[in-house]
Amino acid sequence: MGVVLAGCTPEAHFNANAVLMHKNENAAKETTEFSPQRRADIANTLVALFGTPDEPHIPAAPGIGEDDVHQVMDPRKISFAAGSVSSDEQGRARGLYREHCAHCHGVTGDGAGPTASFLNPYPRDYRMGIFKFKSTPKGQKPTHEDLKRILVNGIPGTAMPSFLVLPENEIDALVHYVRYLSVRGEVERLLIDYATYELTPQTEPSEDDPNPPPEDRLVNLEASEEDQESQAEVIRSFVSEVTQKWLDAESLATEIPAPDPDRDLAKSEAHGRELFYGPVANCIKCHGDSALGDGQTTDYDDWTKELDPANPELVAQYQKLGALKPRNIHPRNLRNGVYRGGRRPVDLYWRLKNGIDGTPMPAVLMLPENAPPGSKGLTEEDLWALIDYVRSLPYESISNPRLAQPKPNNQRERS
Amino acid sequence: MMQHKTYFMTTFLLLTASIVSAAEWGDLTVQFVYDGTPPAPVKATVNKDVAYCGKFNVLDESVVVNPKNGGVANVIAHIYVGRGDSVPAVHPDYEKTAANEVKLDNKQCRFEPHVTLLRTSQTLLVGNSDEVGHNTNITALSNTASNVLVPAGGELKQKFPLAERFPMQVACNIHPWMQALVVVQEHPYMAASDADGKLTIKNLPAGKLTFQFRHERPGYLTEVTLDGKKTSWRRGRVELTIKPGQNDLGVVKLAPSVFEEK
Repeated sequence: MGVVLAGCTPEAHFNANAVLMHKNENAAKETTEFSPQRRADIANTLVALFGTPDEPHIPAAPGIGEDDVHQVMDPRKISFAAGSVSSDEQGRARGLYREHCAHCHGVTGDGAGPTASFLNPYPRDYRMGIFKFKSTPKGQKPTHEDLKRILVNGIPGTAMPSFLVLPENEIDALVHYVRYLSVRGEVERLLIDYATYELTPQTEPSEDDPNPPPEDRLVNLEASEEDQESQAEVIRSFVSEVTQKWLDAESLATEIPAPDPDRDLAKSEAHGRELFYGPVANCIKCHGDSALGDGQTTDYDDWTKELDPANPELVAQYQKLGALKPRNIHPRNLRNGVYRGGRRPVDLYWRLKNGIDGTPMPAVLMLPENAPPGSKGLTEEDLWALIDYVRSLPYESISNPRLAQPKPNNQRERS
Repeated sequence: MMQHKTYFMTTFLLLTASIVSAAEWGDLTVQFVYDGTPPAPVKATVNKDVAYCGKFNVLDESVVVNPKNGGVANVIAHIYVGRGDSVPAVHPDYEKTAANEVKLDNKQCRFEPHVTLLRTSQTLLVGNSDEVGHNTNITALSNTASNVLVPAGGELKQKFPLAERFPMQVACNIHPWMQALVVVQEHPYMAASDADGKLTIKNLPAGKLTFQFRHERPGYLTEVTLDGKKTSWRRGRVELTIKPGQNDLGVVKLAPSVFEEK
């Protein structure tokens, strides 16, 4: 049934990361062009490693056992989530990703599905391998549980809905599929960088250089078997590099020492307020003096920074290649009581302790153990005080303005 | 997991084994000069913590040219080690500093220095001598990125155990004009040009070596004038033969067009 249905829709394909290729062409400032040959080489290499949206393939990762690779990308779960939307003979759903995710995140996982440009914030582009709301330190991948939590809870204040009603095995398959798209996207980035900075580009003969060297192929089928093997080894090492980071993340969740349950909440909030305005936590610099998120409104997230947002000429070039219009990132308005990464104290603990990947939000500086007197940094107690204060902000009277007198409807104000 | 460790371990052993002592050593000196009227310094837009940062003459440091002699500061040079190539022999003098802490300070609302040179065996010590807080947002390709709020008088120690193909970019999001670069290499053979545009890499193993030159604004220095001759350095790379003793590449002139914003 599934196979029959798949034939009815046009074949889905993964989009190339044309923006990064163009960015690298600008950065290399040479005749470096991603020639049609080179673009085809990259596309073919990616198909050989990862297959297609209808027929995904899980590549081997040298140095990592197959079981471990499958812990990151389980081929059975990925084929369950891949392909077009259908069901098999037993009535089990197929094509989960395209049914639930692709409208916004795109078939490629580039965050540029058909609805993406209508949303604010834009859907996540998985291809950088950066995820915001997670339990691990800055620079590390999210754990399986982290991604699952996002799917189950959704992201409040954004278009990302909760998929709580999906059966557990479907959520699980989707988490694997998101990781698969993310690994694929990051390997593509590594291939593009490798081609830009390590391979000889196609060069037109010129006066200075009438006989330029021929273009290096990403995979040179005319090279000796040994050379081909060493090229393939480099490419496969990219898969290992990225897959290993996902494996490592599983044991990197930041542990949360329990706060003192008997602490005086009013005192803790007051202490947190001092820290919020004080020089060590420095929250007001971005979240603003009134915590409305208005302290720093001209910055961008890492996905947008890649589009050189300060340079309208370059932005226009990237937009032609499919990039969405850059928008500023705004620090959270802490008086709304809407927390994208979750509202539980543990969620706020992770945000403060680790910062938020891909954004300007830094981690707080913790006081090292046995720090000499006078050292700067926060204690665990300080951290919980900050969390208590931040959690109290939406309930302050200033956060809930009430008009003294109801305004009459449909009546023009007069001076 | 076990298998993977072995894979990296083998690579590591191969690299270590290649560090053998060379018989003779030489220094390389270069001066980078702006081939035109030096551009006037541009003031940074200080719009955050103005009461404190406004006291200092904070400049845009993406291009720094000496008005007296046209020297271009912050040109980065290092030995280029290709994928799978072994690290060149390291002079014993460098062992003394192999485990040093290298300081990157937040000082007078700028990063000091603008270009930090860090070996993978060393520790980056981020300090804050200012009276205001700074966050130090480090973007890395090979290493783990980091972004920590460093309060006034605070400090943070970090290791970056992997060489970076491009310098890591350092920014402070609170003070958007603050930018810096950290070059991370497995070997100590790297330098950044000083206020006169001069740089020296000391105690290189004598013989043929490939060097790579880059600057924050243009990236790789690909079009240069050396001894009055226009020369192309593909991806900023040039192969030089280092003789024992002094090696002076001379004056490398960089056309104003090199520094035009893309």
